[in-house]
Amino acid sequence: MRALIMILLLAGVLIELPAPALADPLTVEVVADPPVVSTVLGDHFEVSTEVKNTGTKPTGEILAHLNVASIEGSVYVDPEDWSSERSQQLSLKPGESRELSWEIQAVNSGQFAAYVVVVPFGGSVNGNEQLSISPLVKVDVAQRTTLTAGGALPVVLMVPLLTGVAAGTALFRVRRRRGAGT
Amino acid sequence: MTLQVAPPDVRTPEESRAITERQSGWLVIAEQESRDLWTSGRGSLLLFLFSILLSAVTYLTSTNQALNFLEQRESVNLVLQLAVAVGVLVTLVVSADGISGERERGTLESLLVTPVPRRSIIAGKLIAALTMWFATFVVTIPYVWVLARGVGILGQALALGFCVGTLVAVGLACVGLLISGVCNFNKTSIAASLFLMLILFAPTQLPSGLPQGWFFDVLRRANPVDSGLAYISSILVNGHSWTQDLSYLITPLLTAIIAGGALILAGPRLVRLTPGVNAG
Repeated sequence: MRALIMILLLAGVLIELPAPALADPLTVEVVADPPVVSTVLGDHFEVSTEVKNTGTKPTGEILAHLNVASIEGSVYVDPEDWSSERSQQLSLKPGESRELSWEIQAVNSGQFAAYVVVVPFGGSVNGNEQLSISPLVKVDVAQRTTLTAGGALPVVLMVPLLTGVAAGTALFRVRRRRGAGT
Repeated sequence: MTLQVAPPDVRTPEESRAITERQSGWLVIAEQESRDLWTSGRGSLLLFLFSILLSAVTYLTSTNQALNFLEQRESVNLVLQLAVAVGVLVTLVVSADGISGERERGTLESLLVTPVPRRSIIAGKLIAALTMWFATFVVTIPYVWVLARGVGILGQALALGFCVGTLVAVGLACVGLLISGVCNFNKTSIAASLFLMLILFAPTQLPSGLPQGWFFDVLRRANPVDSGLAYISSILVNGHSWTQDLSYLITPLLTAIIAGGALILAGPRLVRLTPGVNAG
């Protein structure tokens, strides 16, 4: 009898527990262009994304956010270095689309993935909403070495040599003058 | 139409010569002092040591394999900051020898009997000390060229270094001459200037990654060398415009105005012989 009461109580507690509510998924489609970018270290390039509301309701406030990740080796990527404006806020009516441009500078060499993720925005965000992500934009950044030891070597050697000769000549003349004076 | 006839010159040749000498006295002193600085080997030797320092830093910077495009701007900034800081501090030390050195070598007496106002003597010495800064800047140009040509900031870096460095150098050269005028002994003057140099240079070596509160900012802005270097860094590395962080130049400007004003006001009293101080 006691076991039955316990089972009933436990069942009651479980029935009262609220099931995790799934929010409406974002009915947004994101397309990125171009799919591949080949550039050189230090150069700027632009990626365009088209965000379209494919649902029947307004999206409300949403945030498109650019991210960059390394897909080769262990290159440390700080997305803030790549683009200073990485977030754009917008809201779309049903069927409306908006084109967003992203100014990016290649600050590391290697292979990278750039993508835009759309997240809901504002105080009504619950915390379990689905996100919409653009297809990956592959970014190939070639190394550019503008600074080499060989390029600096002539200056590094010649300048002290010239100033040294000038200093030596001046000191030699002073000593000779002093010698002549005595 | 009236024909105007110039009044006859009633001055004696000696008076005219004295007036001419007084008008260009600072120029004569500047020329003499500059010649003394550069032909004695003092200036050339300092310049040689300066070039060795810049060569070492430039070579280390250019052989760093981890450097990439953005960091190259920082390497330009590093070399330019070092050149400006060391250049103006060497100028400070050279100017600190200006009056007390003459006293100790026993040459101030002969300078004082020349028909040149004492303010002109100070102006001449100031200009001679500043030739040290201009020479260090000329030596800096090839190093900045090597590092900056690839990133297209050569002109900006040189113009920035010259403007900020000259402003700071004028202020510190005035401070050095004040110290030199106040100190009876050259050793005291040089030691005080070297100590001041350390005080001004040490904060520039603090790691930038440290937490920077309001006290750090106040310290930085109160130091004419550090604030001048912060201005250079904000433009070269952070890409700010020339007018965005002009407040950093307040301290260098105030230093130049206050120290220069003090030199103008107190100069005639500072350039004097002191009992018991001579070449022996």
